[in-house]
Amino acid sequence: MVTAKYVCLVQITPDRLFLLLVLLIVSTVLTPTAHAQDTDGIPLHGFADVGFSTHSSESNDPKGFNVGSLDFYLTPQFNDRVKGLIEIIFETTPEGEIATDLERMQMGYTFSDAATAWAGRFHTPYGYWNTGFHHGAQMQTSVARPRFLDFEDKGGILPAHMVGMLGTGKVRMSEGKLTYDIFTGNGPQVVMGEDATSTQDYGTLSINAAGDDNRKAMSGLNIGYEASGNLDGLRLAVHMIRGEVTDDSGATSALTPGLAAGPNNTELNISGGSIMYFENDWEILSEFYIFNNTDKSGTTGKNRSTASYIQIGKSFSSWTPFVRKEVVVLNQSDNYFTAQANGQSYNREAAGFKYDLNPKASIKLELQNSDFAAGNRPASSYRSLLLQHAIRF
Amino acid sequence: MKSKILGLLSVTVLALASFQSAIAGDVVVISNKGTTISASEVRDVFLGEKQFAGDTKIIVIDNKSAQKNFLQKYLKVNVTKYKNIWTKKSFRDGLNPPASKASDAATLEYVKQTPGAVSYVSGSTSGVNVVK
Repeated sequence: MVTAKYVCLVQITPDRLFLLLVLLIVSTVLTPTAHAQDTDGIPLHGFADVGFSTHSSESNDPKGFNVGSLDFYLTPQFNDRVKGLIEIIFETTPEGEIATDLERMQMGYTFSDAATAWAGRFHTPYGYWNTGFHHGAQMQTSVARPRFLDFEDKGGILPAHMVGMLGTGKVRMSEGKLTYDIFTGNGPQVVMGEDATSTQDYGTLSINAAGDDNRKAMSGLNIGYEASGNLDGLRLAVHMIRGEVTDDSGATSALTPGLAAGPNNTELNISGGSIMYFENDWEILSEFYIFNNTDKSGTTGKNRSTASYIQIGKSFSSWTPFVRKEVVVLNQSDNYFTAQANGQSYNREAAGFKYDLNPKASIKLELQNSDFAAGNRPASSYRSLLLQHAIRF
Repeated sequence: MKSKILGLLSVTVLALASFQSAIAGDVVVISNKGTTISASEVRDVFLGEKQFAGDTKIIVIDNKSAQKNFLQKYLKVNVTKYKNIWTKKSFRDGLNPPASKASDAATLEYVKQTPGAVSYVSGSTSGVNVVK
């Protein structure tokens, strides 16, 4: 996720210099510790991707070749129980600028095999996709994430990142494992656009990395069960998120069709689940989310919305064809969605394949058919072709 | 004539299968003398799910000379899938994939000398625990 405030042009800016210095210092300072444990230094892992996209004429999305993202992450071990997870990303914005972000900065303590506590900025652990793949495009079969699960500034409607505390672990049970993630931290804010010349104004989620704007924490959990034996590869989970989100629309709410006079407070109440299966060359991913949000500042009361997807793929040697269906029905009386640029209901069908050139490099193709429903915004329908070359190292 | 050819083919296939099985069967999991893990924990140890043996941090070491047979026998995965699992594990949970040694001798020496070390060899197991 890269918010507008972190965007900068290609040059050595103070924030980019800071990120590079963090990377260098961590690599340099920690290497002696690593040698002491004979772990061949601190490995620098990463992902990168480039691509091409085109859309039918109804779409305003950028067309042509694109640079996706360059993602570095470090996993330093300070001692047997203290560890870190640091991730830095460089990516292009829709405007074509290079943006940098401190994607993750977590410091953790492992109490046992069943419990690790983290503090810092982390990927919010709902469903599977957000923590399983995130910016690791080479790990996922499709080119694109389900749109509603995309990053905050690229189509997502959920806070994909969070600053706070996270407890995670697995507990062995007789025939499988109970998994859990429990988190709390700064709740997000909907930050409206800054283009004063625009005739309409929509916002994106900001994770409030420097502090909570409304002093209302967001909390949640994701509890799952990993089967073994004959059902090895199956994972079932339920997730839940609670929080209060404020937009900063103020007088600009008049520029946002359907948005009540702001600022608006919405009590976020998300529940849902996920079903995953990765075995026998099959991959089945499905997540669903139910929003029962409450308007805390206006009169629209409780608003229910739903979002879900299912993706099925099967590997044949180096080829993995897949299909995906997304169904997203967002109540347009809910200020949380009305304020967001991505808060429109839609259906999307996608199909494509991933071809592994080798275990660390893949070429992917994806065809999409997207239908956006009429509401506060006009209906639209378009088709897209996406190509991607993704690597990991 | 046809039955003789079939017979010969069957013997060859059985011989190859036995040879393969013998190779895979030779791999044994070893641990440092001060570190005890059970056979049922081997999978979790090598997939990063079990990080401690009592209070001792487990240090997993891959032995490149025996890795293919080890993965086949104990984890039922190939090298590519094993690496994919570790990429996901590292990315999500912040764990480092196991470091590796090139030979049985280097692996055995490392496990002997390093508290918490767990690995596998296809040769001598002198001076280390053998996981049964």
